[in-house]
Amino acid sequence: MVNSIVKYNKILFILILPLFIVLSASYSKAAEDVNDPFERVNRGIFKFNNHLDDYFFKPVAKGWREIPDIPRKPLSNLANTAKAPISLANAILQLNKESIGNIIGRFLINMTFGLGGMFDIAGTDSFGNVPEVEEDFGQTLAVWGVPDGPYVMLPIFGPSSVRDAVGLGVDTITNPLSFGYRMNGIGIEARLSGPVVRGVAKREKYLDYLDEMKEGSLDFYATMRSLYRQKRRKDISGELESKDLTLSLLPVDVYEDEEFKAEVKNIVTSMEMSEKKPSNTRYYNGVLPSSNYPGFNESRVNLIE
Amino acid sequence: MPAFKKLILVIVFLFPFLTYSDENLEQSKYFVEDLGKQVVETVSNVNLSEKERNINFRNLYLSSFDNYYISRFVLGRYWKRLDSKLRKKFIASFDNYIVATYAPKFKGWEGTFKAVDSLIENNYFNVKMNVLNKDGPTLKLMWKIYLDKNKNFKILDVNIDGVSMLVTQRAEFMSVIKNNPNGVIGLIEAMDRKTSG
Repeated sequence: MVNSIVKYNKILFILILPLFIVLSASYSKAAEDVNDPFERVNRGIFKFNNHLDDYFFKPVAKGWREIPDIPRKPLSNLANTAKAPISLANAILQLNKESIGNIIGRFLINMTFGLGGMFDIAGTDSFGNVPEVEEDFGQTLAVWGVPDGPYVMLPIFGPSSVRDAVGLGVDTITNPLSFGYRMNGIGIEARLSGPVVRGVAKREKYLDYLDEMKEGSLDFYATMRSLYRQKRRKDISGELESKDLTLSLLPVDVYEDEEFKAEVKNIVTSMEMSEKKPSNTRYYNGVLPSSNYPGFNESRVNLIE
Repeated sequence: MPAFKKLILVIVFLFPFLTYSDENLEQSKYFVEDLGKQVVETVSNVNLSEKERNINFRNLYLSSFDNYYISRFVLGRYWKRLDSKLRKKFIASFDNYIVATYAPKFKGWEGTFKAVDSLIENNYFNVKMNVLNKDGPTLKLMWKIYLDKNKNFKILDVNIDGVSMLVTQRAEFMSVIKNNPNGVIGLIEAMDRKTSG
């Protein structure tokens, strides 16, 4: 046991040391907009991933969508519950008390009242809607001050950064469940079931949105790169957008050329507005439109994250 | 002057500003909820022709969004390099691109915009809302809007769970410009192709 821990510590060290070297070297480049020095290779892998997605992952995700709620949801919940130990380990490494509380709370509630993690009872109103928290080693490294480094596109796994790719590797190797599996002689097929179910469920969640995005995009690769960067930034620091891109840089009341702005409006509106109907100005009378909505199912809030 | 009288004076002095601010917060919520209502009323109707849908969407976009600000932001550092003629061409193409990309997505859409909260931050209103889709999951959005000098609300950005549409669009355009030998003109041509195709 001690030998195996020493062995894993060595692997961790070997993985993390180059990360610091690479990231230190690329730190000066991190201030650039995209920090994507491997763009050509990344685009090649992105193309490969898209083909794989079209011919394999998307059909599987569509098939997953057709499966009835039971067993689809319990399987998905089980896979998410199985991720709790590694999330908890990372939350502890980050000294993130809120995440630690939420992960332990969800785990205990779902393992007991949720029949071993099959039902997400912790996420219901009765149990206070305990939020689902995922912490990974990439986030832990970020909390420790490691910059994200160059953007990389991983085969199958998709958008990542050097830091997050190393984090993914560390999470896979050090997952407490992996130790349990090995000690009980459980094979790789069974070990893969959790990540596979999580991956399929996630792909299913974004089926329509990704298709629409791809259809409307002029450069889908660049769009995905930006989405990944923004999402990671929000997950790690809670900041919504890059400081370099803050809207405050462009004060809305200081247009340099009001006449130009008015002229643009005329050009644009004259293109198709000849058929414009006079719009009735709409006034707020103290009642919000939503106050008399029939009320669609609001319990579905949080499904898209 | 006794402290109590000072307090009364301060309250009397601040009251109009406080109520003004509160009213604007409520009105900002109304603005985005009403926008959702107008989308259902004028864009999502399945009986509309494509042309009618595009015209109605364009009207909503131009009246509710600050297309000048958005165009300038998404073009980033290239904006300053363009002459007035090319800027106008870019804005016109970009508006067409927005209409062609988003108007068809609302065909048959049923749902409601429900404003959850509105906060003022650096002269902007950040309106948090849930988009309740009738047949799908709920989306959490945040609208960044401001009051222009005519006291009309204008949208600057839409944020979907931490992802800014403006920042994403800018990143995409920067990439297209960088990888196209014709730069911004190449981007305009690409948008025009997408719009006409």
